Amino acid sequence: MTAWPSPGEGGVKADRYQGFLFNPADLSEDVDLEVERRREILYFAATMDGWTHWQALALPWNASASDARDAYREKAKIFHPDRFQGRRLGGYRVRLERIFRRLTEARDVLSDEASRAAYAQKTAPPEEVARAATRRIENDVRAKERRARLVRTNPMVSRVARVKELMERGRKAREEERYEDAARDFLTANALDPTLAEARSLGEDAKRRVGAGKARELWEKARAAELQNDLDRAQLHAEAASDSDPGEPRYVVYVARLALQRGALQTARARAEAAVRAGPSLASAHEVLGDVLAVQGEAAAAKKALERALELDDGLAGARESLRKLRWSFLR
Amino acid sequence: MNENEPFIGIDLGTTNSVVATVIDGVPRVIASRTGQTLTPSVVAVARNGKRLVGHMAKRQAITNPENTAYAAKRLIGRRWGSPEVEDARKALPYEVVAGPEGNDIRAVLGGRTFAIPELSALVLAELKADAEAFFGRRVTKAVITVPAYFNDGQRQGTKDAGRIAGLEVVRIINEPTSAALAYGFGKQMEKKVCVIDLGGGTFDVSILDVGKSVYDVIAVGGDTYLGGEDFDRRVMDWLVFSFAQEHQGIDLRQDKMALQRLRDAAERAKIELSEAPQAAIHLPFLASGAEGKAAVHLDRQLSREKLEELTKDLVDRTIQVAERTLRDAGVRVGQIGEVLLVGGMTRMPRVQQAVRHHFGREPSRGVHPEEVVALGAAIQAHALLHPQKGKEVLLLDVTPQNLGILVVGGYFSTVIPRNTTVPTSQSHLFTTVQDNQSSVRIAVLQGASDKAVENELLGEFVLEGIRPARRGEVEIEINFDISADGIVGVSARDSGTGSRQSITVTATSGLTEAEMRRILEENLDEMLTRRQVGDFERLRDRTQAVIAEIEGLSPRVLEALAKSKFGKDAVSKAEDVVGRAREAIQARDLQQMIAVEEQLDRALQLFKGLAAGGAPGQKGG
Repeated sequence: MTAWPSPGEGGVKADRYQGFLFNPADLSEDVDLEVERRREILYFAATMDGWTHWQALALPWNASASDARDAYREKAKIFHPDRFQGRRLGGYRVRLERIFRRLTEARDVLSDEASRAAYAQKTAPPEEVARAATRRIENDVRAKERRARLVRTNPMVSRVARVKELMERGRKAREEERYEDAARDFLTANALDPTLAEARSLGEDAKRRVGAGKARELWEKARAAELQNDLDRAQLHAEAASDSDPGEPRYVVYVARLALQRGALQTARARAEAAVRAGPSLASAHEVLGDVLAVQGEAAAAKKALERALELDDGLAGARESLRKLRWSFLR
Repeated sequence: MNENEPFIGIDLGTTNSVVATVIDGVPRVIASRTGQTLTPSVVAVARNGKRLVGHMAKRQAITNPENTAYAAKRLIGRRWGSPEVEDARKALPYEVVAGPEGNDIRAVLGGRTFAIPELSALVLAELKADAEAFFGRRVTKAVITVPAYFNDGQRQGTKDAGRIAGLEVVRIINEPTSAALAYGFGKQMEKKVCVIDLGGGTFDVSILDVGKSVYDVIAVGGDTYLGGEDFDRRVMDWLVFSFAQEHQGIDLRQDKMALQRLRDAAERAKIELSEAPQAAIHLPFLASGAEGKAAVHLDRQLSREKLEELTKDLVDRTIQVAERTLRDAGVRVGQIGEVLLVGGMTRMPRVQQAVRHHFGREPSRGVHPEEVVALGAAIQAHALLHPQKGKEVLLLDVTPQNLGILVVGGYFSTVIPRNTTVPTSQSHLFTTVQDNQSSVRIAVLQGASDKAVENELLGEFVLEGIRPARRGEVEIEINFDISADGIVGVSARDSGTGSRQSITVTATSGLTEAEMRRILEENLDEMLTRRQVGDFERLRDRTQAVIAEIEGLSPRVLEALAKSKFGKDAVSKAEDVVGRAREAIQARDLQQMIAVEEQLDRALQLFKGLAAGGAPGQKGG
């Protein structure tokens, strides 16, 4: 047996109460407790409210749930009121009960893994927070590298990544009204992944918008040519516009009208009929068909078409005039 | 505190009770004065007005069913009008009436009304007397067990019973915890333990985390209305029904005496079937035959399969409760390191099989499942009263039910949730809702429901003398605490001024302090006379034994002293003491006997010394 104190023990004992000032009246209360026990109880009861649950159980930060349970048992053995059954405790009884409740509270939080982890995060010392943040950033970087490597080496993963990228780029282009780019990206994405219905519908939509824009430009060119009385060129541009935006019957109506002006009756008739088919509720389509028919001498059919046009839009002065002329010729 | 002061642990059961102690560090059951370890929890008032307890009471139950109270544990701490009490009234042969306040219940035996704690007290007093006979001296300190699922009222009632019986109840502990304590005694246990306690009237499940001699209860569950008696009743119902079929509708339930015989027979058959595959039930002359026909007998065979069929749902219920408790504890079946079966009903093979199946392991059972609870109580009493360094045992139990208060709308607001480690406390802030309000009424309840009416009302407290102020200005802090006994306390203080508020209890199912005093005084006379008779007989026997010993030694003492000049007056003094003791016995004078006892003891010591040391030559010769 050596007389050496075990390392730390002496030191811990010496400043165990860290300059805590004991109230002499409490220390000298007439109770059945050893002085050292009194100090322990007084110190614990007076300081425990400011402690973390780890400190209450004398554990390092982030100790495990099973350590918390063990520490609680050890502490309970010291402070549980049952340990002092039958002794005169005076004011110490209330203190012991409070200490036991404090220990139980700490145990309840720290012995359950979920609440323990949450509490550990909440009570992490600053250096731990910094360390955790660094670790998180490092982890993020590493995860990114890992993903990139995976994309490079695995065709399946790379295709999925490519589709995702195309969709994102397509959406961005659409937002910026670059519909041609958008359509290309969406349709490529759809080609890579045919099950992606969203890519298909977005692609079709973008394509339609591209056509509509082109058609408008061509129509404007046609109008300009018409104003310069260059009807042949106007006809060409108008046909191109109609091709670019097949869903829009107005271009077809315009083509028919130009053909009629140029006296190309066959073309005019075919276009006018196509216009009525494409836009059955478009008054101008019926109007142009009526005009073509009237020129071709099919008065009854022309009258029917013009009446239909007026039915759809009674503000059409041209149609009314044509109809009146037809009646007149009819009377003659 | 006297180091040698005797203490006991008592398992106050629904059907049987057991008393135990710890001697030289070893827990042991104390047998009754008639040599049995189990004392039936039965109390009766005989035709001659004499009170009978235990075996004596049980033996005469058949001929005196109206005045024989059993299963008092099912009624203790219950409120008059509660469904449990209504059910019990239908099944019990003795009369149960409302108490004077209309809250609690009383039993009428031999024309006298007994509070339920009084009935339990009679059983406790019997066990206490057995312990006193065993120790040869007074015993006052006891730990009494209750089912873990008992609420505050039932615990309070049990404590009251102890007080009436003249015991200082050091602690009320939970039966399953107690069993675990007895089971773990002397072992270095480090595991999670599930205790399944199916007794005579109640069913308890406790999950404990045991380590470093700390028995830390994580969760408890149970059913205070599931036990061996329910199994018996199934058998009884089967007998009554088949008897009615066989004998043109003779309804045995109308005949209290027949019913009592059936009850005994059903219990016996059930116990037999734990060992044998078949049990014969033979009750001759059970009922008188219809109009002039001969009396009819009951003669049936009950097979183990039939019993299992009759009680299948009861066994299933035990497993359901166990499952729920495991969930509450957040413990999976696989984490349980030990399953402990306690209570007589766990002798039934079907119960063991169901437990084995559910837990996937062989359950452990002590040799005497009926005794472990009392042994654990004795160990706890020992740990509390005589703590020994290095051998500390600590029980950390939990509260079984939510504790809360009634709030606006008839809802129940939990203040202390169930499975909270006790002792514990919680404060709640109340405020006045009217100007110059002088009192606040608080209803304290215990239970699992959100609706206040579905929970057990523990009591109503009225806070009085609130200082006059505008509404909302006075804040009163009410402190609810639950002691290590599981008993609820309420205190209040004005959080503004810090002054304490007085609290008056207006309604509980327990006995009031005044009534308690009355009962204590009433019982005192009876107990005193009985005690004096008992004490006198005990002391007389002892004194006579000492006298005989002294007289046996006296020839040798005289011989030894003949060679010496000393000690002559010692002999004459001894003779004098013996003479006075004889006189006291003659006169049945207890006081005189107590006075002489010590001198007699000293005389005996002296004689022993003289006989041994004073005549060395005799040994050699």
